[in-house]
Amino acid sequence: MFFRLLFESFRRQKRRKSLALLAIALGMTITTAMLAVGNDVGDKINEDLRRNGGNLLLTPIDDTLDVNIGGVNLKPASEGRFIAESDLPKMKGTFWGHNIKGFVPYLSDLQQVRIKDQLIHVEVIGTYFAQPLHYGKDEFTTGARSVNGWWKVEGQWPQDYPAWPENQPPDVLAGSSLARKTGLALGDEIELRGKKLRISGILNTGGAEDQAIVAPLHIVQQLLAKPGEIQRVVVSALTKPEDAFGRRDPSKMTPADRDRWYCSPYANSIALQISEALPNVRAEQIRQVEQTQGKVLSRISGMMLLLTIAALLAAALAVSAAMAATILERRSEVGLMKSLGASNGTVASLFLTEAGFLALAGGVIGFLAGALLAHRIGQTVFGSPIDVQPVVMALVIFAAFVVTFTGSAGAVRKAMRFDPAVVLRGEA
Amino acid sequence: VSRRQLFIRLLLKAAWVRKDRALTALISVAVVATIATAGLTVYYDLENKLSREFRSFGANVVITMRNGNLDDSVLSAINSKLSGKGDDVPVAYAIAGGPDNSRVVIAGADLRHLREMNSWWSTRTLDSAGQALVGSRAAALYSASGAPFQVQFGANKIQVRPQAVFTSGSDDDSRIYLDLPDFTRLTGMQPNTALVRIDGRPREIQAAVAGLMAALPEAEVKPIRQITQAQTSVVGKTRSVVLTASAIVVVMIMLCMIATFTSSVLERRKDFAVMKALGASNRTVNVLFAAEASLLSLAGAAAGYLAGSAIAFWIGKANFEAAIWPQPLLLPPVLLGSVLLALLASTAPLRLLQQIQPAGILRGE
Repeated sequence: MFFRLLFESFRRQKRRKSLALLAIALGMTITTAMLAVGNDVGDKINEDLRRNGGNLLLTPIDDTLDVNIGGVNLKPASEGRFIAESDLPKMKGTFWGHNIKGFVPYLSDLQQVRIKDQLIHVEVIGTYFAQPLHYGKDEFTTGARSVNGWWKVEGQWPQDYPAWPENQPPDVLAGSSLARKTGLALGDEIELRGKKLRISGILNTGGAEDQAIVAPLHIVQQLLAKPGEIQRVVVSALTKPEDAFGRRDPSKMTPADRDRWYCSPYANSIALQISEALPNVRAEQIRQVEQTQGKVLSRISGMMLLLTIAALLAAALAVSAAMAATILERRSEVGLMKSLGASNGTVASLFLTEAGFLALAGGVIGFLAGALLAHRIGQTVFGSPIDVQPVVMALVIFAAFVVTFTGSAGAVRKAMRFDPAVVLRGEA
Repeated sequence: VSRRQLFIRLLLKAAWVRKDRALTALISVAVVATIATAGLTVYYDLENKLSREFRSFGANVVITMRNGNLDDSVLSAINSKLSGKGDDVPVAYAIAGGPDNSRVVIAGADLRHLREMNSWWSTRTLDSAGQALVGSRAAALYSASGAPFQVQFGANKIQVRPQAVFTSGSDDDSRIYLDLPDFTRLTGMQPNTALVRIDGRPREIQAAVAGLMAALPEAEVKPIRQITQAQTSVVGKTRSVVLTASAIVVVMIMLCMIATFTSSVLERRKDFAVMKALGASNRTVNVLFAAEASLLSLAGAAAGYLAGSAIAFWIGKANFEAAIWPQPLLLPPVLLGSVLLALLASTAPLRLLQQIQPAGILRGE
């Protein structure tokens, strides 16, 4: 009898049931989408920032001081120590290697360059543009093109030559200020230490590179006779905003604390791991970038969390209101069942079982729709999808049950409080 | 009882007698209005709030004179362009000899001002009476214990007494910042560079940079793109996430509300049939139902606007430590939108009912 009532109620009241189902599904769509977006937005923006410049700086240990004014390196390349280029891929082997999104090595020196029959002093910078590398079986590409998002090139990016090309002079970039001052144009050739270089693009960075020649690292290493050597590396790593624990000195921690610190992706712990993996390298966070971006990121995550809570409460209220409305509409049914001798318990369990089925169906539909929505939001705003963890599904279905039951329970209790005779006469 | 009195009585009684039904409808409208108001209020103010956070990034523009010094006329030109929305620190750089005769970059600036600008520096104060800020790498080389050391420029020498050692993770770590008068006495040089922080939204910063470029043709005005571009991208992406998410939530809850409204109208098919049987015209019934829906939704929207503004205010206080104030401009669209929606949601089922004979409904068919 109970099941027949249940079944018939779904079969005969299709409109009512579908309205209730719609409301639950919509509420759960919001829940899923907001949970996914709110949870992921910090990571997405963090990744975006990491395409916009590095946050860790690697320099050789025991170096003499940098002599650098206005971004121009005034220390001759003959001075000081170097980092071995062949060590760089080892960064990928550190505990947080997967968080290292890219790195850009630099080797630079002031050189006399012949530009249009004029000899001038220009800083020559060697770097990776999009260098394919591998660490073990892990293959990746890194360089200025993916890390220094604000570098704009008019013309062609040079390729990263493994060795000096034989047939034609290698391609290099000319800084935009230098090009303007000297009249360099695309395709022009310049001469450095008796070797010819071809300008394939004009580089605009807004920084010191605008007055320099920027060339593939291996070309500059050959020109300066510094094979396999670099002066500094800028690393772009996904980090966790620093909190009080992250700022502590790991050498003064208990072993358990130190493990926890080491296994958290703080800028400092990633820097420590890099300096452990690469001999003679000092790794430090670029504080202007790291400290402040961390602060902004935690603000954004905090705001999304609060907005998510507000949206979830709203969804809960909306679903409860919808459930209450569909049950209030059915008080004459309650009256009829009670006058035929049904106990309050039977009536309540009938209504709640109905609500349970609706919650289950609505939860599943809402989860699927919400996952789709989150995916699309990720694509449109960040250009990469936001994926929903499967565990959210359990959470969402649970939430659907809680919300529908609270919404229906109040209405069912209210409907049962009335005298059946009064309800049936339509006077309630 | 006049027609008008009867109409008003029907309207109010319908709401009062079935308080729970009216309340359900009211809540469903209020929820939509709350989320729409909260989302949009946060969205409007987000650019300001986030841009305020970016102030702690310090200098986002470097101005360097091509020839000559950064004299008072240039400084006042910079300050007038900033007009209080930002800050600037004049700096002079030179290459000097350290105690071991190695080369070191020394700089002159107002030290207190410089520390304020570079608030992200991690500093360790050694001697508050000292007059130099020493970068951590320079300190490790010249004065590991914080003891005074000598720096020479040409024939001149100066005893550097470190006030603090700082770490910045940039070229600054290899530099020694002296108090400007000391620096000038040592080198005879005046500042030719200014570190400038422009506050404001990405667009305002761009405009200020363009203004500075036009006002100072003899100087190079260079925005630090890693900083300015990060701000543009973060602010832009965050705004679009908030807008998209709020829009989706509002649309979903709106559909929810329409479902609720529709079922509460359908529930009243008996009222509808009785009225019709007593001789009310379709128009009268429509107007009555529409008036009821408008009244409920107006009350719900007003409550929702208040609640939404309160939520936005609280998000500002809790997350940004500065209130997000209500947007009075949002009130009319929220009220109007809610009423329109409610009308739509209640008239559609009425049209459905009008196709059925009142007698049929009363018989329970």
